[in-house]
Amino acid sequence: MGLKILTVDDSKTIRMIVKKAFRPYDVQIVEGENGVEGLALAAKEKPDLIILDITMPVMNGAEMLAKMKEEPDLKNIPVIMLTAEAGKDNVMRIVQLGVKDYMVKPFKGEQLIERVTNIMPLTEKKADAPAEEGGGSKYFSLDGDIQMLAVPAKILRPTIVEVETQLKPKLKEMTSGGIKKMILDLTKIKETNVSLIKLIITILDNSQMAGVKVLTVAGATLGKELKDFQETGNIPIHFSVDDAKAAF
Amino acid sequence: MELAAFDLPTFLRGATQEVFDTMLSMELSEQASQDLCDTNRIVGSVSLAGKISGTINIHVTDPFAHQITANMLGMELDEIDSDEEVHDVIGELSNMIGGDLKSRLCDAGFTCELSIPSITSGKDFCIESRGWAVNERVYFQYQEHIALIEAFIKNGG
Repeated sequence: MGLKILTVDDSKTIRMIVKKAFRPYDVQIVEGENGVEGLALAAKEKPDLIILDITMPVMNGAEMLAKMKEEPDLKNIPVIMLTAEAGKDNVMRIVQLGVKDYMVKPFKGEQLIERVTNIMPLTEKKADAPAEEGGGSKYFSLDGDIQMLAVPAKILRPTIVEVETQLKPKLKEMTSGGIKKMILDLTKIKETNVSLIKLIITILDNSQMAGVKVLTVAGATLGKELKDFQETGNIPIHFSVDDAKAAF
Repeated sequence: MELAAFDLPTFLRGATQEVFDTMLSMELSEQASQDLCDTNRIVGSVSLAGKISGTINIHVTDPFAHQITANMLGMELDEIDSDEEVHDVIGELSNMIGGDLKSRLCDAGFTCELSIPSITSGKDFCIESRGWAVNERVYFQYQEHIALIEAFIKNGG
């Protein structure tokens, strides 16, 4: 069973960023908007970890933490504090509150994951389990001895994160299973953007490092557009999956 | 240290560029001043109170606010459901920039507290700077979009 993490922040934006950061992992996220809600949820849900903002209306993070420390059931739940203030006095104050760690905004999702894994191990969602909200695993399928990676028509940031997160374990699984061929299927994509280019480069670089040969399939228009980008101009493009299979 | 010696221009530029780069993957370039008074825009504001008082405002045009929201939340522009999402993101940006500035002020001995962000939106309004000990206005550009970041600070509350 996965971890349960409570995120308490008055900003929906920050709660969404936290949720997005944990999406590739087997983690259930519970959300509270202020310290009062946070305390009630902590008592009810008994989370494994709390990610707590300091500056909030109704009851701030420091007050919530002080109240948690008075409760035998809650006082040992590890807390990571989020703060927009990196000043010495503020950091000292946070440390004295008895938190496990703190993060200064702005921060990237990966940095939050790194901090959490210093406290407790995170398990990635199983590659073959159906994932919520377009989990990366649904993009991978095996066709004989060829791993197919079909990129969806619409490239959104969460999709990229999911595909990238699934890629390394998938490559590891492939090489240990003797699968050395992959077809990167871009036929659903109608137009290029920077995110797509970055995703293609990431897939090709990681595959090369893992010793997996990748052939790319794209429609005629996309194939021409990819040729115009410096980063993808040298990638051989096949115009059908069958062509790519034959080329192996 | 006198408040006038506080390097507001450097800190304000640094905080803004770091927040945009880290949270939004947007590299801002500085621009000459522009008149945004008649432009439809969203302003995120936070206030400082303590040994000093002050306010920090971030003005972004409506289209830029939507682009920022999409980048921050990992969405496409057409996936943004409501103004509430946009306002929350701009408020959070002003909180991060204001939080950085507040930390610099506290480290320099100007102990103060930071307010929760507030939002103003519309057009046909200007914010004038009067009676502040130090103030700074910086215009930034990202692609075709313009942002104005301003901070006004004075001694005492």
